[in-house]
Amino acid sequence: MKQQQGGYGWCKKNASPFFFALMFFSLLAGNAPANEGSYADALVLSARQKKLYDDPYWHTLLHYKKTLFGLRSLIDDPKFFLARDGKTNPAAELEATIRAFFRDDDGKAKHPLCRFAARWAWLKEQLSIDVSKLPVSECRRFEDLVSQIKPESVSLVFPASYMNNPASMFGHTMLTIDTAGGSKLLSYAISYAAHTTESFGPFFAFKGILGLYRGYFSTLPYYTKLQEYSDVNYRDIWEYPLNLTKDEVLKLIRHAYELDDIYSDYYFFDENCSYQILFLLDAARPSLHLTDQHKPWVIPLDTIRLVERNGLIKKSINRPSKTTKIRHMASLLFPDDRETALSIAKGNIAPDIVINKPIPADRKINILNLASEYLQYLYTSQEMSKEVYAHRFLATLRVRSSLGASEQECGHVPAPVPPEQGHLSNKIGVGYGVRRHDGFAEVRYRAAYHDLLDDDGGYQEGAQIIFSGISARYYPADEKLVLQKLDLIDIASFTPRDIFLKPVSYKVATGLVREVMDDGQDHMIYRLNPGGGFCWKTGMLGLTYVIAEADANLGSRLDKGYAVGLGGAMGFIKNLTSRWKAYLLAKDIYYNMGDRHNAFELSLLQNITVTTNTSLRLEIIWSRKHGFDVLNATILGSLFF
Amino acid sequence: MKKFFVLLSVFAVFAFVTVGFASQMNTGCGVGNMIFKGKEGLMSQTMAITTNGCFSNNLFGISSGTVDCKKAGAFVMDEKVKTFVADNMDNLAQNIARGSGEYLNTLAVLMEIPEGQRADFYAKLQTNFAKIYTSDTVSHLDVVKNIEVVM
Repeated sequence: MKQQQGGYGWCKKNASPFFFALMFFSLLAGNAPANEGSYADALVLSARQKKLYDDPYWHTLLHYKKTLFGLRSLIDDPKFFLARDGKTNPAAELEATIRAFFRDDDGKAKHPLCRFAARWAWLKEQLSIDVSKLPVSECRRFEDLVSQIKPESVSLVFPASYMNNPASMFGHTMLTIDTAGGSKLLSYAISYAAHTTESFGPFFAFKGILGLYRGYFSTLPYYTKLQEYSDVNYRDIWEYPLNLTKDEVLKLIRHAYELDDIYSDYYFFDENCSYQILFLLDAARPSLHLTDQHKPWVIPLDTIRLVERNGLIKKSINRPSKTTKIRHMASLLFPDDRETALSIAKGNIAPDIVINKPIPADRKINILNLASEYLQYLYTSQEMSKEVYAHRFLATLRVRSSLGASEQECGHVPAPVPPEQGHLSNKIGVGYGVRRHDGFAEVRYRAAYHDLLDDDGGYQEGAQIIFSGISARYYPADEKLVLQKLDLIDIASFTPRDIFLKPVSYKVATGLVREVMDDGQDHMIYRLNPGGGFCWKTGMLGLTYVIAEADANLGSRLDKGYAVGLGGAMGFIKNLTSRWKAYLLAKDIYYNMGDRHNAFELSLLQNITVTTNTSLRLEIIWSRKHGFDVLNATILGSLFF
Repeated sequence: MKKFFVLLSVFAVFAFVTVGFASQMNTGCGVGNMIFKGKEGLMSQTMAITTNGCFSNNLFGISSGTVDCKKAGAFVMDEKVKTFVADNMDNLAQNIARGSGEYLNTLAVLMEIPEGQRADFYAKLQTNFAKIYTSDTVSHLDVVKNIEVVM
């Protein structure tokens, strides 16, 4: 591949200071009298006249954003600013930058012209800078870097949610710089991440929210990212080649280059990986202003939509994860062959037994391919030692290699609905219902993201993440407006088990809810309700799960103020048609601590998808709590936005 | 409202992190040189421990630090092949055994095998799989050497 040629000139040591001193003096000699000071003044003056400090592109390069107290850069690293008040003063920073270009190269640190490659390129053009009047006329390192990597195009990459980890819907986005004539695996993946060695979850979460970590950009070969996301975390990856021109790609690289080793305080919810990546795109195409178009929080998937709305996406490419491949390959095999592949991976039979089986070669190939994929899975999920793995894996592959190539092998995994084509993240619903003979009007709002009944296109079946959900009811008979429910978080992950993959299903819900109490009246309680169990998928019943649950409640009406109970739930979730989904759920919990009572609930929930972003829902919930029967029926129309 | 949101976030994230983190890295370049599950934790974008800045050092090279910058040309090419093989021993082994796949294509790209000769190259490697991955503890250097021998 050509891009690999040309050596590593860019990472060679700098030429000696002596060399630059020589060059500088020869320059002076050539342009005597030494007048570069006045040229700098002239450029500063010209920049002032053109009001370049007010130019949106200058604000993009410096990450200036409007705040209550004027403009302020989101970059927190003092190294990034040349003026003392550069973080808040675009004009001062601009002047300091121009003057810095006139510095001599001391051969040690990167010259400002190199250090700020994007600023240099832009100002050179805007001010028609005569490079012959500068001590350093170009950034050799950067030019060498570009000629070495041969950047061709840029893709946006979105590792979609983990199997069995709804929280990862929040996800990640990165960019890849795709190179001329190269393989996608050798692309350069640019991501932004908090720099931390914190391993204690709660600390980590807390600091992340408060912006106590520093975020840095990093560049790695794309294949290392694939190992991380696809082979180890089992996330399907979506790649979106963007329509940036070569010149725009260069602009992007220049800006990324000047962000090298520069930090910004990392905030989980807004100044996160997905947001910072947008600056690179804004730098690539000055007309975009993506960083000004976001909500108070940035969901990675929403940034894909944002980039799509701005007309950058050429197409989407799906890269199935290891587990998706395993499930798909297994689905194509005869049940007997599946068992054989499993036995090989488990070491119950030797792989060469397959050779003598009286079955067609393609079937043998499929068995061995599946066995080797599954062995990799067992190893990365730490269910197998390295020695056992290496031995079985290579033994399987040796047999596989003796069978030659196959036309249909690896069974191309059909691409699911791309995530950006699924329903939007916010949801609002209005409806009417009856609770114990009292009619009510209801309004619901959910900030994010997807529930078990929503259409699964673009999402993972059996995964739910409700984040900041609220529902209020108005009972006209009593002229009473009440908060019915406040979901802080309601996560569920029902992932089916099969002979290869044995995930555990779980749920965590917490928030406020209005329920019937021992006086027969509805009262508000706080609830924390985790659970864990198993899930299977069958054609007839759909997703079927059984889980054990715990439930802790706090409420002034509860005896002793609290109740803690144990119990279980069973549910069936099935797509009756492509647009009609039903969810039947039974749940029984015995509260043995605090307020001792029993709560039983039987629900039938149905959802009809009208369009991608509108749906109709019918909920019938019958419950018996504290000895009171309550029947609740609601019909709701919802809009995603 | 902002406070409420932050509070909400704290709750949410605490719920996220209830599932444990485990961090383990395996080093060495043999088969099984893959990172393990759990390396990233749940909130992947922040768990990645990135000590490397963008473009710093030789990060923009394909290699992972084994390349000596002063040497150029064929040697670097060779180093790139070695690094790629070292970093992708498992997936490459699988592709070679099947005679197809993205990792095998990438190897051909790095070794500058002309497009017209790739099918042959793939077939040769597949036929000689046992001569390339000679033992359970085969190193990436052996694999590169063996590939050169059989092609």
